[in-house]
Amino acid sequence: MRLYEFEAKKILSEFGIPVPQGKVITSSEQAKRFAEDLKKPVVLKSQILSGGRGKAGGIKFAQTPDEAYSSAKELFSLKIKGFPVEKILLDERLEIEKEYYIGVTLDRLNYKIVVIASSEGGVEIEEIAKKHPEKIKKIGLDIDEKLFSFQAFGLAKMIGIESSDIRTVGNIILTLWKLYKRYDAKLVEINPLVLTKDKKIVACDARMSVDDDSLFRHPELEKMGVEKRHEEGEMTQREKKAKEWGIPYLDLDGEVGMFPGGAGFGIMGNDFINYFGGKPANFMDSGGGPTPERLAQMLVLLDENPKVKAIFGARFGGISRCDDFAKGVVIFLKEHGLSKPMVLRMTGNMWKQGLEIFEKAKKDNPELFKNIEIHGIGTPIEDIAKRAVELAKKAKK
Amino acid sequence: MAILVDKKSKVIVQGITGTSGRFHTERMLKYGTKIVSGTSPGKGGQKVFDLPVYDTVEECVKNQNADTSVIFLPAKFVLEAAIEAIYAGIKLVVVVPEHIPIFDMLLIRKEAKKHGSTVIGGNTAGIITPGETNIGIMPDIAFSPGRVGTVSRSGSLTYYVADTLTRTGYGESTCVGLGGDPVLGSTFNEILSLFEEDEKTKAIVLVGEIGGVYEEKAKETIKKMKKPVIAMVGGVFAPQGKRMGHAGAIVEGEMGTARSKLKALEQGGAHIAKTFLDIPEILRKLRI
Repeated sequence: MRLYEFEAKKILSEFGIPVPQGKVITSSEQAKRFAEDLKKPVVLKSQILSGGRGKAGGIKFAQTPDEAYSSAKELFSLKIKGFPVEKILLDERLEIEKEYYIGVTLDRLNYKIVVIASSEGGVEIEEIAKKHPEKIKKIGLDIDEKLFSFQAFGLAKMIGIESSDIRTVGNIILTLWKLYKRYDAKLVEINPLVLTKDKKIVACDARMSVDDDSLFRHPELEKMGVEKRHEEGEMTQREKKAKEWGIPYLDLDGEVGMFPGGAGFGIMGNDFINYFGGKPANFMDSGGGPTPERLAQMLVLLDENPKVKAIFGARFGGISRCDDFAKGVVIFLKEHGLSKPMVLRMTGNMWKQGLEIFEKAKKDNPELFKNIEIHGIGTPIEDIAKRAVELAKKAKK
Repeated sequence: MAILVDKKSKVIVQGITGTSGRFHTERMLKYGTKIVSGTSPGKGGQKVFDLPVYDTVEECVKNQNADTSVIFLPAKFVLEAAIEAIYAGIKLVVVVPEHIPIFDMLLIRKEAKKHGSTVIGGNTAGIITPGETNIGIMPDIAFSPGRVGTVSRSGSLTYYVADTLTRTGYGESTCVGLGGDPVLGSTFNEILSLFEEDEKTKAIVLVGEIGGVYEEKAKETIKKMKKPVIAMVGGVFAPQGKRMGHAGAIVEGEMGTARSKLKALEQGGAHIAKTFLDIPEILRKLRI
């Protein structure tokens, strides 16, 4: 998960990497006050969990505290890639002589940690790679290999750092690699690393993203609240609720509520709905081996979402069993009730037991099942997806 | 013939005394998988379904010549378990749990390469050679022996593809779950190369999804292959920057969109299927 710039910079500074003097503000008044305290020109940087904020007008410069006030006001009214600006990082404005790029990332295909440096900073590394591949220098390391000082100094040398700054920049590269390892990061990037006019080296902007699945080893990151974020953007209320229930869930724009089993089919199922002329209202995954209670909660999320007009359900029991699936659906029907049409298909591990559970519940309470169509292995899943689109269209009218 | 596993594979279950270890051991046994024992440190000497439980993998290898392991343990114990199996000489390690920390997987992969082992997963549904052995969590109802190999990042999609191949009479040679985690023990390239060498396999279905670069990199391998590859990739309509269930299923920056994967696979010469029903259509046209 991605950290905000101010969070990443705080970590860098704790590791001894120089960052600009700065403060996080949440109101325009604070912007004015802090600019007054600094007695310098400042830069106001919108804090959002996404790239490309500069191009979207999310960064502003201010010469005076009054300008800081009005710029902050503008930024707080802005939405960048759909994300509202709620926090601004107000930094002293640096006088820049030269910009560099340094970063540590993961090469998944070659199973390497890659330390990267470039004499071109301030633009995205992908862009540098396209335009000036010769200006990118890299060292690939295995997970259990060490980055030596001489290698870090060598990288600094290769991107044209002057001898007088080789140790400073080399040590920043080394530190960056250390904190990458320390935090189970996926990416740590200083872009740009700046040489100021008065010959100081400062991390002007920083980006950091950590491995969600290693958070259990980093309670300090959990405390920052990073687990309730996407890689890009914060979660919606419904997404947070799902997260508390342990259900991977995303809100989307359409009208077909998605109740699939398995993430892979969850992703593909959303494509199918699109191919057949509908739009999914959500993405959802039950995770491996969900309990009946969790399955019932999944349906609650969909039934209570006013955007959902019909529900598409699919279960191919692998690690998750069909009997549990059927139990979950029945719990939901009894305790919550279904207010929209639903079509579902169930097969795989324990499908017979699942079917028996449905039949018994239906015999006891036929009215609970009036909105549901249940299919088995005999019906291709494509037909179920088409039917869900049809039901949603009908309900919309 | 089959790839990676067959009826002779001697399988152990790491975490056999746990709830899901026990549940799936019973299922695998019923299928005919040759499970020889299981491990659970501290519970050596117990029995599960008449199978001996050992404290260490080394004992399973020494006493029963075990060569394959399937892990049913929480993610944070997988590093230890997988490396224990690799050091003990297990040739194939199947990592069923999901959300394995990336750094752990990097180390597992490195040790596996060093010791000549293959690791499948994390977050794999396992590997099945229908009619011979079923290792992992795949529901046997979907599978039948046949001539199409499948390799997929998703368990549920493996079932749908197999179900389609079964209903249309093609059947499957071996189905390999590559896994849904961001860093995987094996790559599409490696599995495709095994299928290319396998006599029983006449065509391969590759199922990918958003995130990572394993599909893009498969292009070069597919180009060199004689056997046809049919590819399907999930997430054409996926949002940017949001993880979709699988830890590895996320479009980050320009990397890993379904469109970039489909383009690469097509350039490599793969036949693209949009839905499951397209697969038998393509096979028919190829006269497989």
